[in-house]
Amino acid sequence: MFAPEVVEEISILIRVDFRSKTSRMATHMSRCRTWCRLQRFGIAAYRKYSTGGGYPNVSLSTPLPGIPKPVFASVDGQEKCETKITTLENGLKVASQNKFGQFCTVGILINSGSRHEAKYPSGIGHFLEKLAFSSTAQYGSKDEILLTLEKHGGICDCQTSRDTTMYAVSAEVKGLDTVVSLLSDAVLQPRLLDEEVEMIRMAVRFELEDLNMRPDPEPLLTEMIHAAAYRGNTVGLPRFCPAENVDKIDKAVLHSYLRNYYCPERMVLAGVGIEHEQLVDCARKHLLDVKPVWGASLATNVDLSVAQYTGGIVKMEKDMSDVSLGPTPIPELTHIMIGLESCSFLEEDFIPFAVLNMMMGGGGSFSAGGPGKGMFTRLYLNVLNRHHWMYNATSYHHSYEDSGLLCIHASADPRQVREMVEIITREFIQMGGSAGEMELERAKTQLKSMLMMNLESRPVIFEDVGRQVLSTGKRKLPHELCDLISSVTASDIKRVTTKMLRSKPAVAALGDLTELPTYEHIQAALSSKDGRLPRIYRLFR
Amino acid sequence: MAASVCRVGSTVGRVLAKTRSPILLSLRRGQASVSYAQSLVGAPETQVSALDNGLRIASEDTGHATCTVGVWISAGSRYENEKNNGAGFFLEHMAFKGTKKHPQTALEQQVESMGAHLSAYTSREHTAFYMKTLTKDLPKAVELLSDVVQSCSLNEADIEQQRSVVLREMEEVEGNLQEVCLDLLHTAAYQGTPLGQSVLGPSSNARNLTRQDLVDYISSHYKAPRMVLAAAGGVNHDELVGMAKSHFSGLSFQYEGDAVPVLSPCRFTGSEIRMRDDALPLAHIAIAVEGASVSSPDIVPLMVANAIVGSYDLTYGGGKHLSSRLARLAVEENLCHSFQAFHSAYSDTGLMGIHFVSDKHHIDDMMHWTQNAWMNLCTTVTDSDVVRAQNALKASLIGQLNGTTPICDDIGRHILNYGRRIPLAEWSARIDAVTPRMVRDICSKYIYDKCPAMVAIGPIEQLPDYNRMRSGMYWLRF
Repeated sequence: MFAPEVVEEISILIRVDFRSKTSRMATHMSRCRTWCRLQRFGIAAYRKYSTGGGYPNVSLSTPLPGIPKPVFASVDGQEKCETKITTLENGLKVASQNKFGQFCTVGILINSGSRHEAKYPSGIGHFLEKLAFSSTAQYGSKDEILLTLEKHGGICDCQTSRDTTMYAVSAEVKGLDTVVSLLSDAVLQPRLLDEEVEMIRMAVRFELEDLNMRPDPEPLLTEMIHAAAYRGNTVGLPRFCPAENVDKIDKAVLHSYLRNYYCPERMVLAGVGIEHEQLVDCARKHLLDVKPVWGASLATNVDLSVAQYTGGIVKMEKDMSDVSLGPTPIPELTHIMIGLESCSFLEEDFIPFAVLNMMMGGGGSFSAGGPGKGMFTRLYLNVLNRHHWMYNATSYHHSYEDSGLLCIHASADPRQVREMVEIITREFIQMGGSAGEMELERAKTQLKSMLMMNLESRPVIFEDVGRQVLSTGKRKLPHELCDLISSVTASDIKRVTTKMLRSKPAVAALGDLTELPTYEHIQAALSSKDGRLPRIYRLFR
Repeated sequence: MAASVCRVGSTVGRVLAKTRSPILLSLRRGQASVSYAQSLVGAPETQVSALDNGLRIASEDTGHATCTVGVWISAGSRYENEKNNGAGFFLEHMAFKGTKKHPQTALEQQVESMGAHLSAYTSREHTAFYMKTLTKDLPKAVELLSDVVQSCSLNEADIEQQRSVVLREMEEVEGNLQEVCLDLLHTAAYQGTPLGQSVLGPSSNARNLTRQDLVDYISSHYKAPRMVLAAAGGVNHDELVGMAKSHFSGLSFQYEGDAVPVLSPCRFTGSEIRMRDDALPLAHIAIAVEGASVSSPDIVPLMVANAIVGSYDLTYGGGKHLSSRLARLAVEENLCHSFQAFHSAYSDTGLMGIHFVSDKHHIDDMMHWTQNAWMNLCTTVTDSDVVRAQNALKASLIGQLNGTTPICDDIGRHILNYGRRIPLAEWSARIDAVTPRMVRDICSKYIYDKCPAMVAIGPIEQLPDYNRMRSGMYWLRF
């Protein structure tokens, strides 16, 4: 690619030893040539890098020579592609969404989670999450799995939640066959050796300790509010393994659970970034007619119970005076979460509830995080900006296939718990009032943009495809969801709020609870017109 | 004129970059081959243009319905001196408090109603203001950004109010021991030089910075040739250039009195800082040597070396089947709660090191094995180690570009650091060109028998003396 005389010049330059006196003539010659080169190509060409000869010494500011010009992809509206879904003969669904790129995300989602553990010791889901991708029939250890994946630049991960278990692998597209075979192995044929289970027991104990130690109590509060709202059933069951069950769970218990819940009808193989036909072929090869390691699944004992919303209160007295892990002390706070029943994500009212959640917004009192993160939401404008002693007020929306929960988390100094509860109940009642035009538009736009921004990333698209196909059998594309969001009106919000306020409240409280009002008072406040707590007369303080 | 040199400099730089220097052919003589079949990269091209005032505009059209657009500036705490250290960070806080055209509430409401996210960050050498929004709102976003960067109003009243916010944020950061540790590492390693200053600045400056200081900072650093307007998402490059022409043409490119700020070299000093506090449950320790600068060709083998050492956290379920040797030892001997290898690269220097968190009885062992890992990098790195690290590094480089904001950030930083966006094919080729011998030689050059900089915070009684650790940086075996 270079002229022959230029090539010759370089070879002389490299062969010449500048220090040798005998080659003074050659040195002079090459210095002349170097000077010519300097004139032609400028200073950057002459600079010698410190690595010396032999190694590539091209600064990153200069393009590396010898690489053919890459052919770049051009975007041609592939994002509007439909999600293709096929159902195999054994009931397994295969869903895929095409997206350009060298990497793809493929995984198996299973309709199994902590809500199905009613007849088993709680915590199986937690164990399965940590045991994922350990030794299987084909791969002797996690090391072998990671080594195989590394050849394709891949990573693997498992996540369980209250109603879904997700095994996912992100790797190069050309490794699709290996990836699907690995997934099938990891899901259907894990060995669950005793030493692995023992190691996971330690990891689970460490995680439980970590949960109790950290200053941010949000996971604990989520557990408590679910236990309060759905007392003793389905989604109210604990997601993290309770300490007393850590030793009770072993291979036999796990197998009896897996036999009932890991059946093809309850599974979806989802993929993003690959062709549908390829994925279906791999699924037929690796997931059809595979005998799982716990024997043929008979699925006799499947828990099909519907979540029963009960409402109620769960309290945990805990000393929060010294939770900081660093040298700066964190003030002592009491955390409360008050929730009401919303609706499942299969119903039409789900979208108005999502818009309502966005409208309430909220966050930490220190800072919203900059413009755009909800500084004009109700919880900021009405609560945090007016009452500077509140540390936190955030609204959350949890939704499952048969029920849902809209809750508000607030935290403040223990002496102001009563005022804090009253402010939150007043906010709930005001939700039933009419929403401002601008406020509603803003919430709808923010929800749409949050949806689109989250769907930029491939793992999120994968989870979206998988979960939708698992629960409904089809997938609503993002622009369809945006249209549904745009059609929400103020009367929709009013209607869903009125329905919500009729349900019994669920309350979770953590910390110093001496000033906490009783559950009956909170219930009375939420059914009253203005949301105020009933007056109590304190004769003895 | 110096100012025009500054402007022309970037153009010359670009011309030189395009020319292929014949010395670079020495690659062919090297051990690794760089032949590479023409391949479909799977990512769109990054297009770069420039305005007359020197502002560079770079964008990548990925076809998403959302986009991220922002301004990346070559300004940071390294450009500050003792008196105005923290001005950049303070300015980041003031940026969203209103401009001449949009007072604070109007700005916030506009952003919120668009459903956009407006953010900023300041580091030692870069400052960025960026906005995530839907693609159809791109023109409005560029207008708001141009306003925020060029005509920040800087009210006296707002400045006073932000002082307490900045002080409170400093207090919160003090609680994050990992950040404190890595910050102190810079203070130790680059002591007495501008790189040693923290981005947040001392609290006395937060209390005393005046409006004039902030105005001076803007006028000496926010100049068009040092800025890049980067965008990623469903962005059309020509449209973006048009928008930039209408909003950013007024950006100045001349310095007052032609005083172009020049970065002085920052010397690295092997040193240590110990903050013993037996009341803390865990000790945070970081040890580093001087590494490669951001555009140095040595940085790729060093990144591979760091991928060999890897990272670990107690909550990883993998146990003793992790690929990094240090991680396996950490699990088997229960040495630490977490560790990570890092490389912070600046324009003419860098910090390459390992940071770990452990309890007070295992510090000595963990430090021994950490330095052992470094010595292994210099002496006994094997083919399989390098192949694994190459795969992991390539996967992480590509995997990080997941979404319009990371891609936009990548574009902005690449243009500021290298003057161009390095395509993934080139990263792949550079990483593939790394051989075990290269890793050993280059690591020896940077690590072997060098004085490290070290920081330790917490219950660190067990940490050996500095001279012991200095002797851990070489082996007497050969």
